Order: sequence, then C-alpha cells, then structure tokens
Amino acid sequence: MNDKFIRAISTTEIAPGGMKAVELNGHEIVICNCGGIYFAIERRCGHMNAPLELGTLDGKIVTCAMHCAQFDVSNGQALSGPVPADLGNESPPPMLATFLQHVDMLMKHVRTESIRTYETKIEAGWVHVAP
Amino acid sequence: MDTEARKKALQYFFDKVVGPMGFKFTPDVELKDFLLEQEVILEAKHGVPFCPCQPVRHERVRDMQIVCPCIPFHREHFDAIKRCWCGLFVHKDVTDPNSLPQLSPRDVGLE
Repeated sequence: MNDKFIRAISTTEIAPGGMKAVELNGHEIVICNCGGIYFAIERRCGHMNAPLELGTLDGKIVTCAMHCAQFDVSNGQALSGPVPADLGNESPPPMLATFLQHVDMLMKHVRTESIRTYETKIEAGWVHVAP
Repeated sequence: MDTEARKKALQYFFDKVVGPMGFKFTPDVELKDFLLEQEVILEAKHGVPFCPCQPVRHERVRDMQIVCPCIPFHREHFDAIKRCWCGLFVHKDVTDPNSLPQLSPRDVGLE
C-alpha cells in the first residue's frame, strides 16, 4: 500500500448518502458515501467554517447546515454561496434590525471558497484517505 | 462561483423535483442552457434562483411563488399549457415545445 494513505473507516460505517467526520494526521476530514463511491473533503465549510458532516449529501453535492452553501464533494468546487436570511415582510424590532444590518454588512465580505479534497481508495472493506 | 458547475447542480436538483410532478426539462437544449444560466445569475444576485421570466417585486409571499421550479404554485395553468411560463419545464409527453399553444390563464378558465 502506498504510504500516504491512512486507513480511516470501514465501508460499512456510512450508509449511501451519508457522511462521517474523522481526524487523520491532524486534518479534519469528512468522508462521503455517494452511492458506494467514497469521497473525502475537508471538514470545514468554505463559507464560514461550519462542520460539513452536519449538512446533507445529495448525489455529489453537500449542503452546509449553517447557511446552505453547496459544494461538489468530488472536486471540492463551491457551487453556491449562502442563501439569504428570510425575515418575511414584517420588519424586526429597531434594535434587532440595526444588529441584522451590521451582520449583513459583515457577511457581504465573506466569500465562499472551494474546499480541499483528499484522495481515497477502498481496500479490504476499508476506506483509506491520503491526508 | 463557476456558472457551468452551478447550472449542472441546479439541473440535478430540479430534475428530482419536477419529475414526480409530471414535468421534464425542455428538449430545446439551447433554451434550457440559456434559462439555467439566467437562474444562476439571479441566484448570485438574490441568493435564490428566481424564474427568469418573472419580475422580483420584493414582496415575500409573491416572490416565493416564482422560485424555480415554481410548478406547484401555478400548477393549473402549467398543466393546461403543458409547460411552465419560461419554458424550462414541459410535460413529459411533449416533444416539440414550439408547437404548444400560448394560452393565458383566462383562456384556460382560470380568471
């Protein structure tokens, strides 16, 4: 076996469409089971660092649970940024409105970056990752 | 954000939603490509892929009814004309979208 690969988890640990976070050599990694094909991505969202395993995996697209930014787990490409907050038609109380405006102003400067991916391979029922 | 990658992602998600409702993407590949590209642009601007052929009025309830695919909100009209307003989706039995008659809601008895 090539030295760069580390045995991470058993293939039976993640159901198809599921994800699991692991730490390998100090790297926080999420292993994704896309219908029997395993991909490994960095754990932190490219938008605001939320843990991606808490989101949802649909095909090869992971959606972050925090602001719904989406990424392609096969190549780490950022597919969309955060969705806007939905406050409805009613204005919030003045103090909250001021706070939300401030948060909005800060959020406009946050870019959604693509995330890192890691090589994977399956051997003897184990997923191996090269961190 | 890469437009082509986002177009593919939208197509993937939309396909799963419109199929069970009896619709499919238009067989007009050029039109499909153009409309998806417009939705990617609208999504980058508003955070939501609004229908490219409808104006965003900044009235939440009405705007939510034009988020693509907007089929559930205008089902009766779309079923009558066998396509959605912008033409991105057509009924599964449609092979030539250009042959479909253009009928207003009034023409099909909805107003």
